[in-house]
Amino acid sequence: MGLKLTRGSFAHPASSLRYHTGSWRMERPVHRHRPAPCHTACPAGEDAQAWLALIAEERYREAWEKVVAVNPLPAITGRVCHHPCEVACNRGHFDEPVAIHHMERWLGDKAIAADWDYPATPLAHGSQGVAVIGSGPAGCSAAWQLSRRGYKVDLFEALPVAGGLLRSALPHYRLPRDVLDAELERLLASGITFRPGQRLGRDFSLDELKAEYAAVFLAPGTQRSREWNIDGATPHDLHVGLDLLKRWVDVGTIPEWSSAAVIGGGNTAIDLARILRHCGVETVHVVTHQSLPRAGVEQIDTMSAIPREIEQAMEEGVIFHEHRGVQRLVLRGEQVIGLELVHRKELHEADGSKRYVSFEGTESLLHVDQVIPAIGQSVDPAGLSTLLEQRSHLDASEHGRLDGHPGLYAGGDACGGHGSVSAAIGDGRRAALAIERDLQQQTDSAEPAADPVTPAQLNMNYFEPQARQHAPVLPVAERSGEVEIIGTLTPQQAAQEAMRCLSCGNCLACDNCWTLCPDIAVLKTRRPAEDGSHYLFDYDFCKGCGLCARECPTAYIMMEPEQ
Amino acid sequence: MQYALEGSQALARTVALCRPQVIAAYPITPQTHIVENLSKLVADGALNCELVSVESEFSAASVVLGAVAAGARAYTASSSQGILLMSEVLFNIAGLRLPLVMTCANRAVSGPLSIWNDQQDSMAVRDAGWIQLYCANNQEAVDTTIQAYHIAEQTELPVMVCVDGFTLTHTLEVLDIPDQQQVDRFLPPFNFERRLDPSSPISIGTLVAPDYFTEARYDHHRAVNDAQQSIVAAAAAWEDVCGRRQNPLICVSDRQGARIGIMTLGSIAGTLAAARDHYNNAPATRLMALRSFRPFPAEAIRQACAGLTDLVVMERALSPGSGGIVGAEVRATLSEMNDAPRVHNFTVGLGGRDVPMDIYPRIHEGLRTGSGIPFGVLDLEPDKLPAAG
Amino acid sequence: MSHRELRQNQPRFSGLESGHRACQGCGEALAARLVTEAAGPDVVYANATGCLEVFTTAWPDSSWRVPWIHSLFENAPAVAAGMEAALKSRGKTTRVISMGGDGSTFDIGFQALSGMLERGHNVLHVCFDNEAYMNTGIQRSSSTPHAAVTTTSPSGKERMGKRHLKKDIVSIVAAHHIPYAATTSVAYPSDIRKKVRRALAIDGPTFLHVHSPCPLGWGHDGALSIEVARLAVQTGLFPIIELERGRLAGSMPIRTVHPVTDYLQLQNRFRHLFVDDARAREELEHLQALADHNIEVYNLRGTRPDNRDSEGADTVRRGGLRWA
Repeated sequence: MGLKLTRGSFAHPASSLRYHTGSWRMERPVHRHRPAPCHTACPAGEDAQAWLALIAEERYREAWEKVVAVNPLPAITGRVCHHPCEVACNRGHFDEPVAIHHMERWLGDKAIAADWDYPATPLAHGSQGVAVIGSGPAGCSAAWQLSRRGYKVDLFEALPVAGGLLRSALPHYRLPRDVLDAELERLLASGITFRPGQRLGRDFSLDELKAEYAAVFLAPGTQRSREWNIDGATPHDLHVGLDLLKRWVDVGTIPEWSSAAVIGGGNTAIDLARILRHCGVETVHVVTHQSLPRAGVEQIDTMSAIPREIEQAMEEGVIFHEHRGVQRLVLRGEQVIGLELVHRKELHEADGSKRYVSFEGTESLLHVDQVIPAIGQSVDPAGLSTLLEQRSHLDASEHGRLDGHPGLYAGGDACGGHGSVSAAIGDGRRAALAIERDLQQQTDSAEPAADPVTPAQLNMNYFEPQARQHAPVLPVAERSGEVEIIGTLTPQQAAQEAMRCLSCGNCLACDNCWTLCPDIAVLKTRRPAEDGSHYLFDYDFCKGCGLCARECPTAYIMMEPEQ
Repeated sequence: MQYALEGSQALARTVALCRPQVIAAYPITPQTHIVENLSKLVADGALNCELVSVESEFSAASVVLGAVAAGARAYTASSSQGILLMSEVLFNIAGLRLPLVMTCANRAVSGPLSIWNDQQDSMAVRDAGWIQLYCANNQEAVDTTIQAYHIAEQTELPVMVCVDGFTLTHTLEVLDIPDQQQVDRFLPPFNFERRLDPSSPISIGTLVAPDYFTEARYDHHRAVNDAQQSIVAAAAAWEDVCGRRQNPLICVSDRQGARIGIMTLGSIAGTLAAARDHYNNAPATRLMALRSFRPFPAEAIRQACAGLTDLVVMERALSPGSGGIVGAEVRATLSEMNDAPRVHNFTVGLGGRDVPMDIYPRIHEGLRTGSGIPFGVLDLEPDKLPAAG
Repeated sequence: MSHRELRQNQPRFSGLESGHRACQGCGEALAARLVTEAAGPDVVYANATGCLEVFTTAWPDSSWRVPWIHSLFENAPAVAAGMEAALKSRGKTTRVISMGGDGSTFDIGFQALSGMLERGHNVLHVCFDNEAYMNTGIQRSSSTPHAAVTTTSPSGKERMGKRHLKKDIVSIVAAHHIPYAATTSVAYPSDIRKKVRRALAIDGPTFLHVHSPCPLGWGHDGALSIEVARLAVQTGLFPIIELERGRLAGSMPIRTVHPVTDYLQLQNRFRHLFVDDARAREELEHLQALADHNIEVYNLRGTRPDNRDSEGADTVRRGGLRWA
């Protein structure tokens, strides 16, 4: 070897760096950014972990920009969303889920207060215009996504103002007008051309759109109430759920009844029931064949309304009848005086088929002055008959494409599905991305299966329990129907709550891996590395012991076999 | 300057003159007076150093090992059981090439227990890799101790200065103790290049695999061998400073026409010199006092024995089952000579048995009547032996 | 910036470098790393024979960035005492740390340690306790816990692992009335750092007992070393305490006490206790009783959540802020 001994065989400092113990490895640690469960659960596709991290770092504007990159209406969804993110939140397995919903509202409100502009993008594809029909959440989302990618977007709306159901059917106590206006005004000022008072079928046709625009996104919503009757009978003064709700939102009054039954288990039914109570109807019933949300009940059998809303409805005195159907209207002349209820369930077969079954021998009588069906809507076929072909909803793929109709896309309530604002926003974004790919003649990339971080993969030893922050809630006695029932977090509360995020699947820069490597094979970088982490693995020396992966609190480090 | 001092006291003062920075003290007869005297010097403010009163000889050697490694001049002393207890450390100090000086107040080794003088203790650690210098008298002990620091720091090897326990340590005589300026001129401050220092953080005491161990051991062996030059040079240099004749490797006192030689180590050299003068009818005899046992000065020994027909090697230790230790090495070395003298090897004075002057005529008588028996215990009293087996 | 350059630009002092030959997941390597980091560059080290010195200094390689000497198995504290005396005599302020495993600290080098403590040297002795003579192949030491299996305390028809109890070294050390003696664990790096700094700020002999799992000797995956160490603390089997002048001055309360089985079942050296056998059940009870005894004697039950208890002491925060 030629190396000469030293006197007394002493060795020079750090000379072991020439011995690369990395050759011992059987597996190596890698940084793998995996989606947090809040991310995979969000119907709009928001990465809540990412923007909560930015809030924790007091980078509020960047946090808001991160949200609006996916969801341009955080002040709205932060009030009306059913927040499946919180149900999925891993912190729920430690103490309580992070209050993501309230944080989103806080951030959205902050943007409004600070008058932050939506990031504008120069027109890059000016020659390729896109038409968006409907300025509800799906339409606004699609318009925004295309506009920020440099496309010229014309957003058509039948009504004189934007917002769709957000404006017409959401009670003020859930979504104040000023918030809605502030959010939409700024969004529409970001480069989208808004064309109000333009109704498809009346003012322009689908063919005209196809001729003028490179692509068309249809988000007309479901403007038609489902026909409802019991054995062919309907009350002479039948008020259909959504129409009644819209009327109340618009006009502010409701006919005076002393008791009413709302048929249906969705958000419209609940909103309506609560409005009836706020307006002084003494006894309000909600009748649904589905189950109230509770542990142990399958999702498919549960009411689709947001559990929080159901809870508040109960607080406000609404009476619920689950697993019930209306078998018969009890009329005196043409006046409804009651309903014959029967136990009813929707049974689902393994092959996906379903049927309603009423159980003989369980009938009972419910005395009510009025019955209001809120059992769902269907797409108004005006201008869309060629697409609908007698169906109640448009049949779009997961990317919003309409099979057999190139250049046409659809999303939101018009395509059926869950019917939530966040799902509509997600539809709009996914369709916009598909439109862009199609216009650029790119293929859809295969998306890897969602692999959200599970609680077992986190190392919860490194977290401290900390109670969830609570937003103030108006006491029942003060609820009028006009004022927001749920208040906002304070800035201090928001800061605290952001710290509660466990950062699932992403680097927290906690220094654990850097501190705990027995081989000093994790190096801290001066600036965040390309993968967003703050550390590098020195594979010359890493022996693959796996301590870093095991002790990473956020499951950001995975061990994979050495090649 | 001349003082009437006990050997131990003189050694303590001499050590103090060498300005040690750390002393480790653990008592064992007959070395105790050395460490006690040093303690008194420290208590009186005459010696400014860190005196560490350790809890065993193992720690004594370890403390001075650490002290030298951290760049301080250090000292300790021991005997007999203590030397053996610290033997592991002695090997370590030498192998790590740490310059150190230690006094071995030679004493017999248990069992059976004995507190009296022989040289079994230092002989038992002859392979530890230390330089071993044997002093014939207290003046030589004083001079050798000073030279030892010079040799140690130049060769980066530890030096054991062997001084017969009781015989030398507890004998009062007039000695010349040099003054501080003389010693300071001779011994510059200790500046150990390989000392542990945060500005140059080396690792001492590594694991060496078979591919390099042989070379490590050989390098050590070579260094101890080469130390002969340093020993000779130090003797000459100190002679210049103090004006006293110094013995380097071996001290030869010849007589006209001597064909018989007697070689010893340590204080019995003095007994034999007095006996030779007294028994002036005995045949002319060349007396040799071996000072350096390690390194073993083969060439110097051969030169010293040139022209002899008989060489008696008298030593103060034995290797049970083999016989003499020094004798065996001397015999091996002389066997390479043409006309090598016959070697007669005796052990004498084990466990402090007094060696009277009449040993001298007994040796000559034995040579005249005997036929060169290889080994014997010259002063054995067979009547006292138990049954063999 | 290359890895080598980045290594030179880490925001902390590095006393131990990569390229050492410790087993994967070695608790002792991690402990040595944390201790030398916290102590800083102005320290000289004496290291007893054992795993640590063997895997860090196979000539010509050394993993140490600090001045370091290895002499023998039983004399590290004595060598350290000599270094301390030398530095003092030379007027230097450089600190001295003596390091050894449980074999050298509890057994063969116990005398040297006691002598160093008694003489009041300004030396910190750190014991990396992996509870057996690991470097020679997992033989029992007086630190090996009761009922643990080692090659010289195996289990079989006549035996259930080590018969004797774990020697209470920190009490013995504390009985020398030194200013500071403490236990700590690799599961709590902040605690180690705090205690090293506290010890070095004190004039006089100090002692730190670091619980350091050995995956090979204890029989668990290298990736579990921290988990195992944490459970040792959270069961009460390895109490984290501080003693000043022989009196209890502090302890790390356990917020959620775990049954000893949580800790034992992760390690093969206790596997023989999880069979259907009356003696095995008795030993489990005995170990639980020992843990309960520790909790009582050292008052380890935490009544309130606290950032210094066994669950708060390793809490991480975004950006790496810790309390030590």
